[in-house]
Amino acid sequence: MNCCLCDQALRFVPSWRGIFLYEAPELLCQPCRNEFSKTTQQGCKFCGKEGEAICHDCHYWEEHGYRELIHSGKSLYRYNDAMKDWFHQYKFLKDVLLARVFAKDIREALVNERAMVVPIPLNNEKLRERSFSQVDELLLAAGIPYCHLLEKCGETLGEKTRQERMATKQLFHLNGEAVPKQLVLVDDLYTTGTTMRQAAKTLQEAGAESIRILTLIRA
Amino acid sequence: MQAIEAFLTGRIWIRQFIPFPQELVQQAINQGNAIVLNGISADGQCARCLEKSPDYVIPYACASCEAVCRYCRTCIKMGRISSCTELVVWRTPSTVNAGLRTFGWTGDLTPLQESASKAISKSIRERKDHLLYAVCGAGKTEILFSPIHEALQKGLRICVAAPRTDVILELSPRFKQAFPDTTIHTLYGDSPEQSGYGEIILATTHQLYRFHEAFDLLFVDEADAFPYSLDPSLERAVKKASKPSAPIIYISATPPKTLQKRITGQSTIFRRYHGAPLPVPVYRAMWNYERQIRKGNLPLPLKRWIEDKLQKQQPFLLFFPSIQLIDQVCPLLHKVDSRIESVHSKDPQRKEKVMQLREGMLAGLATSTILERGITIPHLQVAVIGSDHRVFDRAALIQIAGRVGRSAKDPTGEVVFFHNGITRQMDAARQEILFYNKEGRV
Repeated sequence: MNCCLCDQALRFVPSWRGIFLYEAPELLCQPCRNEFSKTTQQGCKFCGKEGEAICHDCHYWEEHGYRELIHSGKSLYRYNDAMKDWFHQYKFLKDVLLARVFAKDIREALVNERAMVVPIPLNNEKLRERSFSQVDELLLAAGIPYCHLLEKCGETLGEKTRQERMATKQLFHLNGEAVPKQLVLVDDLYTTGTTMRQAAKTLQEAGAESIRILTLIRA
Repeated sequence: MQAIEAFLTGRIWIRQFIPFPQELVQQAINQGNAIVLNGISADGQCARCLEKSPDYVIPYACASCEAVCRYCRTCIKMGRISSCTELVVWRTPSTVNAGLRTFGWTGDLTPLQESASKAISKSIRERKDHLLYAVCGAGKTEILFSPIHEALQKGLRICVAAPRTDVILELSPRFKQAFPDTTIHTLYGDSPEQSGYGEIILATTHQLYRFHEAFDLLFVDEADAFPYSLDPSLERAVKKASKPSAPIIYISATPPKTLQKRITGQSTIFRRYHGAPLPVPVYRAMWNYERQIRKGNLPLPLKRWIEDKLQKQQPFLLFFPSIQLIDQVCPLLHKVDSRIESVHSKDPQRKEKVMQLREGMLAGLATSTILERGITIPHLQVAVIGSDHRVFDRAALIQIAGRVGRSAKDPTGEVVFFHNGITRQMDAARQEILFYNKEGRV
């Protein structure tokens, strides 16, 4: 097996753990793995952006009608060059296998989670075009059970500017499943927070009380 | 010839990416001119790159067709192909476009080049594979012009494939000059779209995946070079891109023994076009160079060598075995002279830096093996640091030594192997260069 990013042969590193317990085979070589950079987990309490206790974007949301919608949240990785390449290959070149690259991190973050894990969906047309849902695949690879509560309306944020994004009104509606009191919203990339705020708002109106968020990457 | 026919003939293309209206594509399929293939066959082989290893053909739950599909990771950079992807192949054979062609090349061939050129033409007429075994700087491209001209006039479709984009980009203007009234397409990673029916295709070996029984004649340049030698899928691509009876001409300065045994038609040129012998590498011990560099010291023999070249104002290349080592050594080299830069395969400014070295704006370049082929700089001097490392095999070392003394004005130069122990590969490379010089003597 070769590294799934640089295609160099993987060097087998024996370990005692590997002898006695099953370990998922490593997909990346060490140099590729080292290119990714984890967040320090001491930043914005809502989105995990490094720096102030409440980042600029979240401050805006709190001031503009989305106060106390999200209880807390975190992001696992920074959006550096390696992450951009990974994201491009995963989401746009549709390399589904790459979902497994961060399986361990996502599993660690969610394995002891009691609240319901709710992935952010894509709209059906996009889903058919892409042939997979990037958030669902991340959770599947991590072995985390999840439940869809939302459906995406027609609009996508991908091609919009920052202002247009933050002014978007209705992105999601419910799919009819019962909404529990506690839940964790999961998405791949957090850019301005519009997606998360919109999703949280829809769910809060349907009766959710504590909404936390987890994103793989904070841009 | 219709535009869509000109585009699709010999190609294998993802249906929705064909740059023509879908109605036109559908019409061609209805009329039986084109057929549709599944992206991945039932037994798990990619129809475009012929990959079938389960490490690269990956199953997943596909939301488009709501079944388990497989997709191919080997050629994913060209647009992903999965089981439910439709590939279009043109079926009707195209009309042969034979006739007189202008030959815009007016140079002279040496007698050795001349006879190699004739031998290749003969192999092509007999539809046999051929190996052109010629040392670095023998003038290989010029040898090909006359056989290609002959083949063009018979209406053959020709492809010249080389492993690297740099090489293709260098060949392109020379071919356009030599064949001014022929449609030539230059294809590489993100090459611009080119219209019409390409009679000569200059392409990186990867681009061959996109052709299907297209060529009547195929030249594989640098037939031993990375990634060709490591990658069996590219070898399959060469076979797939050419018609079953098409002759394949391999060109190499360091052909692997297997190739030499397999192909009966061979021509060898062990002399450079200017007639001077190849520079023979010199060994110089530099013990524990890795540790010294890691600790922030430039090893003394290397430092002296660089200072000597700086004083003589000769441009130089320093080959290093790993990018990591280049990053460590770069600040140390800057201390010696700020005009020493570094390049590696991931460097976007690679081309600019090589140009600067050629123009004398840079004194020297520290590089990975990426520059081992296809570059010509007058008065160039070369040092290999850690020539005992396993990335420097016989072929790589011969290629590196071949960078030196390429111009007729200054056919000499220095090739130094700084080593941490002499390896068999180093000896093999040196022996082979000595052998060329002996054979090549008049």
